[in-house]
Amino acid sequence: MSDDAVIAATESEPDWQRLHPATLALAVVELGPRSLQFLPAVAALGFTGNWVWIVPAVGAFLLISLGAAWFQWLRFRFLVGADEVVIESGVFSRQHRTIPFDRIQDVSIEQGLVSRALGIAKVGFETGAGGKENDASLDAIALDAAQALRTTIRAHRSDEVAATATAADAPEALPATEDRLLFAMGPRQLLLAGLFNFSLAALAVVGAGMQFFDGLLPFDFNVFNPRDWIDIAEDYGLDQWVIAHRWVAGVGAAISLLFIGFASGIATMFFANWDFRLTREPRALRRTRGLTTRTDVAVPVKRVQAAILVTGWFRQRFGWHELRLQSLASDGGKENDHQVVPFAKLDVIDPVLDEVAIRRPDAGQSWQRSHGIVALGGMIGAVGATTGGLVAVSFGQDLGWFGPALGLLIGAGSLFGARFHRWADLGEQVAIRRGAWKPKTTLLPHASVQSVDLKSDFILRPLGLATLVFGVPGGSSLGAHEIPAIPLAAAQDLRTRILAARARS
Amino acid sequence: MTDIPAHPTDPFDAEAINATEGLDPVDPAYAQVLRIATALNLIPLAIGASVFDALLIRHIGGPYGLITAAAWVIAAIVIVSFPSRRVSRWGYKIGEGQLRVARGWLFRTDTIVPFVRVQHIDVGQGPIERWFGLSHLIVHTSGTHNSTVTLPGLHADLAAAMRETIRRHIQTDFA
Repeated sequence: MSDDAVIAATESEPDWQRLHPATLALAVVELGPRSLQFLPAVAALGFTGNWVWIVPAVGAFLLISLGAAWFQWLRFRFLVGADEVVIESGVFSRQHRTIPFDRIQDVSIEQGLVSRALGIAKVGFETGAGGKENDASLDAIALDAAQALRTTIRAHRSDEVAATATAADAPEALPATEDRLLFAMGPRQLLLAGLFNFSLAALAVVGAGMQFFDGLLPFDFNVFNPRDWIDIAEDYGLDQWVIAHRWVAGVGAAISLLFIGFASGIATMFFANWDFRLTREPRALRRTRGLTTRTDVAVPVKRVQAAILVTGWFRQRFGWHELRLQSLASDGGKENDHQVVPFAKLDVIDPVLDEVAIRRPDAGQSWQRSHGIVALGGMIGAVGATTGGLVAVSFGQDLGWFGPALGLLIGAGSLFGARFHRWADLGEQVAIRRGAWKPKTTLLPHASVQSVDLKSDFILRPLGLATLVFGVPGGSSLGAHEIPAIPLAAAQDLRTRILAARARS
Repeated sequence: MTDIPAHPTDPFDAEAINATEGLDPVDPAYAQVLRIATALNLIPLAIGASVFDALLIRHIGGPYGLITAAAWVIAAIVIVSFPSRRVSRWGYKIGEGQLRVARGWLFRTDTIVPFVRVQHIDVGQGPIERWFGLSHLIVHTSGTHNSTVTLPGLHADLAAAMRETIRRHIQTDFA
């Protein structure tokens, strides 16, 4: 099968097609990580002294894997008909699947590093059927064929006859003329976003790695160890001065810590969001991004259930926010909601919110607060940490003093954070705000709510409080939508109003 | 189903909760179902405790018999007294276009599902439930939180009738 046969995809004549031959090359690449499974067998051979068999065994493993990949490729064929995609797969047990274009919510195109070098792309059909395994994918076909296929299906969906089947050969050039660019990120913005993306988590990873690989590093230098900084100084004859001014070593360690934090923040931002583009298409918001792995995801506008605005205590002062949309069709297991704007000011975010018909509460909005009892969980944790620490101290373990210190921090943090649980009813949607360290605002249209729980327990009931929990389609990685500890009457009133709303079509 | 006079609001009177919130109680026979289910869970545990007592505590010369007695007494109390309390705290109401299910007291959850939002409905019947002629109704929504709402302890005919009621609403609203 040559590329030309694959490109001829969009003709209606029934001719079966195979995946791009480069898929086999992809299989070879994937063998790398997979051969790890083979390591125990190699180890077993080694331990039993059968050294001679290792090379033939590895060879056989590779051969069988490649053979299996080749057979799978041979037995996989697909057909793009006038109004449906038919996929047949399986070596021994054949699987025949028909997907009508009408049922395809959207076509996603994903390219990994190797795929980009080979000019192929994985095409996923989002059918909205529950579960990832129910969605079909073609892994992989030529990029231009993939884009032609997408254009065909989209044209069918939006009832446009002019299907520009041969459009677009570069991944950046998006087909279809009426697409409107809503948001894009250039290198400057990425750099700025990366600076705010300063992460202490990366520090922990690097620190742990340094400890772990201490003996393996080609250079004997641990940035976290002030002693190493003194050693450096020694090389330059500065040791006397440094020992006299020990703080210099500490400053050196601190600076490198900061550097790693910033560098990792900038690097993750660049890798994830390189050439970020959010465009408005007839039915969906389309997002393309990524440096090594480029993803191309569409969020159908009608399927958007809620919007979540995330910011940080520091970036908030500069007006930077992140916008996520919770959608019925989630793409992949890792991401339950779609980050549609990673880093922007509110005046840029507002037009995007307009597209999905969600309104942001203005500055004059009056918010209602949750009761301070929401700090109780944190307080119990704080008391636990304190008593645990004190018990350890009483047994003569000095490290136990961490307990009370940690308890004090947790207690203060939860008391402080409790003041940031707020909510407001905006008529057609509820706004829920929480978090002091990482404030996030959930904008939940009444019409998205599938069910409402009114919860109370032995602590909330005597206080006349209740917690509202909303069942909303499409999971959010940021947790369930709930308004904790509000007066019972207000909760019942809000519940009645939300349930009166009509379904979001 | 049965009419319960409105009790004065005594938070420790279990039936008052349903009455004040305007909910219907589930079938009292559900207590028997729960009791048997609890017994099936607890009796093996109690037997396990007795065996542990006989084998280990006697072996190391501890106070033999204490654990066995405690296990059986606790199991008996839980089996005899808890199920009827738990049952009295379940309540439901088929309202205008919505199903309301409430459960629990220490941690009380009061769920409302509009019929329009129901994806599909199950009526299930376990072997113990069949014995008492009961069924449970499971309502599926597309929400991630609360994707299934279960209402146990319904008379089999009532469960089927409720299913039909909800199903009619699904049809009329999406037609």
